[in-house]
Amino acid sequence: MGTLVLSNVARSFGDVVAVRDVSFTVPPGTTFGLLGPNGAGKTTTMRMILGILIPDRGVVSWDGAAVTLPVRRRFGYLPEERGLYGKLKVRDQISYFGRLHGVPAPEDTRRADAWIERLGLGEYANRRCGELSKGNQQKVQIACAALHEPELLVLDEPFSGLDPVNAETLHSALRTLRDAGTTLILSSHQMWQIEDLCESFCVIADGTVRASGTLTELRAAWPTRIVEVEPVAAPLRSVLEAMPGARRLPDADRPTLAYEIPADADTAALLRRLVAAGDVTRFERVDPSLRDIYLRAIGAAA
Amino acid sequence: MNTIGIVFTAEFMRRIRSRAFLAGTLIGAAGILVLTLLPAILGGMTSSSSKNVVLVGDPALTAQAKKALAGDFEVASMLPRLDQAPTAAFLDAHGKAVAVAVLTTHPGLRVTVYARDPSQFRESFGRDLATVQIGLALGVPAARVEASSKVPVDVHDVSGRFADAAAADAAKGVAYFFVILLYLSILLNAQSIMTSVAEEKTNRIAELLVATLDPSRLLAAKILASAATSFIQLGVWVATGIVGGRAVTGLLAHGAAATSGAPSPLGTIDVSSGEILAFLAFFAIGFTQYGVLYAAAASLINRTEDLGSVAGPLVIPVIIGFFLAMVAMNAPNDPRIVACSLIPLISPFVMFTRIAVSSVPVWQLVLSLALNVGSAALLAWASGKIYRVGLLLYGRPPSLKQVIATLRA
Repeated sequence: MGTLVLSNVARSFGDVVAVRDVSFTVPPGTTFGLLGPNGAGKTTTMRMILGILIPDRGVVSWDGAAVTLPVRRRFGYLPEERGLYGKLKVRDQISYFGRLHGVPAPEDTRRADAWIERLGLGEYANRRCGELSKGNQQKVQIACAALHEPELLVLDEPFSGLDPVNAETLHSALRTLRDAGTTLILSSHQMWQIEDLCESFCVIADGTVRASGTLTELRAAWPTRIVEVEPVAAPLRSVLEAMPGARRLPDADRPTLAYEIPADADTAALLRRLVAAGDVTRFERVDPSLRDIYLRAIGAAA
Repeated sequence: MNTIGIVFTAEFMRRIRSRAFLAGTLIGAAGILVLTLLPAILGGMTSSSSKNVVLVGDPALTAQAKKALAGDFEVASMLPRLDQAPTAAFLDAHGKAVAVAVLTTHPGLRVTVYARDPSQFRESFGRDLATVQIGLALGVPAARVEASSKVPVDVHDVSGRFADAAAADAAKGVAYFFVILLYLSILLNAQSIMTSVAEEKTNRIAELLVATLDPSRLLAAKILASAATSFIQLGVWVATGIVGGRAVTGLLAHGAAATSGAPSPLGTIDVSSGEILAFLAFFAIGFTQYGVLYAAAASLINRTEDLGSVAGPLVIPVIIGFFLAMVAMNAPNDPRIVACSLIPLISPFVMFTRIAVSSVPVWQLVLSLALNVGSAALLAWASGKIYRVGLLLYGRPPSLKQVIATLRA
């Protein structure tokens, strides 16, 4: 198992700059979320990790060395656009990609059957891939990417277009790989789909890193917190309005006083002042969600 | 097994199991069988009433004409005169004849033909009856003129390659057969490589493959697999041509039609090992040159519907090569043909034809091979670079400037 390090990588296509300057480190065996809006440079970054594209500038290293072809064969890749031979049968397709990654026969078929079983594709094993639904094709693609037990598995928008049942199956497969020690890099712009899978994140926008770290680190760096207080009463509101740096948030769907306050504000002292001012039935300090962090990082926060 | 072997095996199996390959091979074999049968069929057709003619005129003159026409026609009947211009019913009544020829001798021999198909007769009658015309002018029997007009010509090949003119003619038949196979094979299989590359690009499989193996190795494996299936296809076609041709010739030799039907040229095919080697060498070179070019072109398109627009210009050198090969059959040592046999992309057709029908100096053969192998390597290098970049280019097709920049990168 190795550590993946990207140091100041950049890549342009003609006049279009896809990635300006991206650096991050993915420790071995961790699950890493690459977040960003469409066109942020996520796919280009992933392609540079996999050696499909060569960076114009910067270095991608695995275990301290350059990512060469033999190293790349130990990686797995699930591209955003699904790539399958429509006329090839499911088992043959999975075995083929396994062999390309160095899995010898008949081990390739044995592993293919195990993945077919794990992903509930048994009844389709001898069907042509072109005849399968999008969800089942996605499962086949996952099996193709993971059959060789890669050290690093890069998944570009793995949940795109999947129904909840198939998304859960994929989730389960990825958890299995994570538990087996595979380093995973997932990209998505659907936070909730990868939040519970990933241990650390990197938000990219306009080809640059806007935020990175574990969720705890990202929250720690967040400049504000939200406090929610009930009931909605004038004395309580006065206390909150008097707090330096506090900003009232739009009304929620229930009667609550919601205020954004500086992250370093003394919430214990605030609670004491509120209790002194009136009856407080609810007081909650809310940490920012990954979605909040993401939206602020890309500059789209309200 | 290395990655080239894995991709080669997968590509080979995919191609050989495809319906298109099976259908193409079988239809091609059936077409070749028809070609071998065609001379016999056509021979049979012309041996029947389609050669019958009616001669009208002075009996002594029509008797001489009958002998003179014997090679090309059968005289169904001879009449001293016609009461009126003959109709189709008149021709039917005289052995379903195809024409009536009225012969007069004022001032010399003059022939008026009434035919079902007027386009056929002027040349053949004029040629066949020339001896009668000369006989009349000189006042000697036509048979004597004919006997005197024959000059024995004994042709020898200075290179010692062919025993006689008939052997040289047979070599042309062989060359023609193989050039057509080369043309069809390169055209069909280069298109097949193109479709395969375009499919992998549009399906985004290319992205997965390039993540795992070097694009040049991927391209090499594809071309090798296509060449292997093409060799199998060629083998089936050649075997069909030879076996079918020999069978037809055998049947004709033992059957009633033996005297009237022409033997199939493929039945008497006699291919030397040198010719087979030359064919295989130039096939491999031509296949590589066109294969890499078509693959590079296919990697630049974004939709399979656009294949035609990039394939069109690449067909032109194949067609030029084919037509120059046809010219080379009759003028294999013309300096212009010799020059064409050295030009890459064209020479696989032209040089092979020259080898089949003449004795090519060794230096020309070596130079042609060197130029072709060198250009195949250069094309493979350039196409490999374009292929590597083109496979991952989506959206607007690259401009010529971008392609050149890719090559210089």
